[in-house]
Amino acid sequence: MKTKSWITSGLLLLVVAIVLAGCGSSKESSTDSATNSKTLTIGNATDIESFDPHNNNNTSSEAVLVNMFDYLVKNDNEQKKVPVLATSWEQVNDTTWRFKLREGVTFHNGDPFTAADVKYTIDRVAKDSALKQNSYFKSIKEVKVVDDYTIDMITDGPDPLLLNRLSKMGAGILPSKYIKEKGIDAFLKSPVGTGPYKFSKWTKDDRVELVKNDKYFGEAPKWDTVVFRSIPEASTRVSELLAGGIDIASGIPSTDVERIQSEEGKQIVKAPIQRVLQLILRETEGTVTADPKVREAIDFAIDKQGIVDSIAGGAGIVTRTSVTPGNFGADPSLYKQTLYDPAKAKQLLQESGHAGAELNMTVSSQYKEYAEVVAAMLNEAGFKANLEVLEPSAFSERYSSKSFKEIFMIGIGNSLFDASNNYNRYLKTEAAGETDYNNPKVEKLLQDALVNMDPASREKQYQEVQQILAEDRPAVYLFQMEGIYGADNRVKFTPRSDEMFYADDITSVNG
Amino acid sequence: MKGYIIKSLLQVIPVLLLVSLIVFILVRVTGDPVALMLPETATAEDRAVLTEALGLDQPLYKQYITFLGSALQGDFGTSFRYGESALPLVLERLPASFELAVAAMIFAIIMAIPLGILSAVKRNTFTDLLISGISVIGKAMPNFWMGIMLILFFSVMLGALPVSGRGGIEHLLLPAFTLGIGIGAQMTRLVRSSMLEILNQDYILTAKSKGLRPFIIIMKHAFRNGLIPVVTIVGLQFTSLIGGTLITETVFAWPGLGQLLVTAVNTHDMAIVQASVFVIALIVIIGNLLTDISYRLLDPRIRYS
Repeated sequence: MKTKSWITSGLLLLVVAIVLAGCGSSKESSTDSATNSKTLTIGNATDIESFDPHNNNNTSSEAVLVNMFDYLVKNDNEQKKVPVLATSWEQVNDTTWRFKLREGVTFHNGDPFTAADVKYTIDRVAKDSALKQNSYFKSIKEVKVVDDYTIDMITDGPDPLLLNRLSKMGAGILPSKYIKEKGIDAFLKSPVGTGPYKFSKWTKDDRVELVKNDKYFGEAPKWDTVVFRSIPEASTRVSELLAGGIDIASGIPSTDVERIQSEEGKQIVKAPIQRVLQLILRETEGTVTADPKVREAIDFAIDKQGIVDSIAGGAGIVTRTSVTPGNFGADPSLYKQTLYDPAKAKQLLQESGHAGAELNMTVSSQYKEYAEVVAAMLNEAGFKANLEVLEPSAFSERYSSKSFKEIFMIGIGNSLFDASNNYNRYLKTEAAGETDYNNPKVEKLLQDALVNMDPASREKQYQEVQQILAEDRPAVYLFQMEGIYGADNRVKFTPRSDEMFYADDITSVNG
Repeated sequence: MKGYIIKSLLQVIPVLLLVSLIVFILVRVTGDPVALMLPETATAEDRAVLTEALGLDQPLYKQYITFLGSALQGDFGTSFRYGESALPLVLERLPASFELAVAAMIFAIIMAIPLGILSAVKRNTFTDLLISGISVIGKAMPNFWMGIMLILFFSVMLGALPVSGRGGIEHLLLPAFTLGIGIGAQMTRLVRSSMLEILNQDYILTAKSKGLRPFIIIMKHAFRNGLIPVVTIVGLQFTSLIGGTLITETVFAWPGLGQLLVTAVNTHDMAIVQASVFVIALIVIIGNLLTDISYRLLDPRIRYS
């Protein structure tokens, strides 16, 4: 009897296994081709949003799309502007720029690239306010086609940032003929660009697969296939790397760094990114943080290097400015500098007469650990810090309604690589309600720099602003974050500060 | 029976309306999608422009009426994240979630029925104790921990199975096990108690006294009747599996409905949240109805009213 019942269950098991095999095996085998040296597989925490470069606003989308779409100009490794689809450019007057376009370039579908495509692309992103990249391009009034390979770009007023705008995601050049004939939805299902890699397949929240574009106008692409896997859970990304399923894993938690380093054939690579973690302080009359001595005490109370070493696992660079090297207007004298003197913090707080004052600090849950340590340090200095941790979406609601109290902690990136992007929030109109920061000298410098077409004097303006802000402290900067990647030794990968994955900058060690 | 089904289906309408209203309000009071769509450096004006372009500056009741009108035609709006129509985005995730749910359920059944019967037949022996112990542990282990441990052992240490992603059957084993073990454990205990109850009934005694072989008694007379609670739990758990596999899908990077919903909630993608909750609600309602009908078929004592 006993044996029979086991035979029955065994049979049942077999049937189920066959059924399972039937429903699974119809799918093609996966492309995790650790063994195939011509396939590059990168594991990211988030998937792309869409193949519309104009309607995307996350770095991880851009990191993928740069392989498919080209810009007129792009940033090299050091954030210098280099020609891509434009071969040269000149400023005709304060509001007009002339671009010469590259000839002989074709889109992946065979359409030739001409001035009409540039006009279509830039007009679209500059005019359609429902597009996520629109805010970066509003200053462009129109694109005039001079001839098939020459265009004039007209801006609303003097725009010193034009080249910075044209070298970011929203300026990815789209095929005008294809989209006009088939419509944008068809384009999104089967997107084409001019880049070194072509669209092959996208399974949302799973993978984007690109294949090489044999007709690329530049250097021949190095990989046959580039796969971007979307793996939200960090420990799973680490496991994929260790198991050999992916070549590069982004966003490695500092706690996993040692584990990857100790594994043979794997390595950790780091690079500073554009994001600076900071405390933004309210100066509205009646708040304790309106007192400059209190703000100074806050700055001196926080051991930034200690936070980098302990919580960030060393992946951070302390700074007294948010305009880090590689950005226009950076002041190197404030970079890699930090203030920490708990005794002085206590003394300043005593002098201000606000000892024991309550500081309400709000933070998004992603930076919770940092905020907890900062709060403890503030308490140590004699404040009474109340920490409020919010889910990212609740935090963003408060952020846009400018309803934080004394302090909020936030990591701010800069995708324009220009100091103006960091400092617009300290313009009087923007600061109103948020920090209520108001310094007429800073206001004047910032307003002038916004329309100053002379790079040399413009740079000086931002450097002066930086020095003033370092003393005024509408924000206390903690550190510039670093991107931590795990990589297989079979690839050579140097991460970029803009977090882009240009597949052809990543090389296979086996050739 | 027909009347019963029609009546049940009619009850679906007010339920779905209520669900739509609750979700509609919740996604609008919990955060601002525009702030999440723009960089931190966006100005107040940038935000105002986008808010208007998306129609989010309209009063809530107007937005709800617009939403309801379009939803009736199957249009749940455009996903902020993907820039595509929401309902197809949700529906295209169903096969992946369905595949995982079926595999997990099969695993749970394979585990529960033999173990549950064995446990009942051998009650109060060491075997029974062992099985009970295993099912308590199975139920108690958190999914994410279980998933991570399985990956570490089978994929990283042994290199036997892929770590994550969807593909062939080898991709399905670990997530199905992770998801199925909790349900399997629960089901084992249910089969055991249900069998115990039946094995003590008079007709089983009669069957025994007729000299039938114990195997026949257990499988033919007891098991069929013991199946009713199992069917209930299969039906109820299966529907919850389709919409409720958030953690397992995230750990295994499984591109199903759960992951879509998690990302949509985090990015405040209202259209996707609304469409997914609607679809999940529909699946749960239909699943419950089917469960209802099926155990009425299994047990003629249950009458339709």
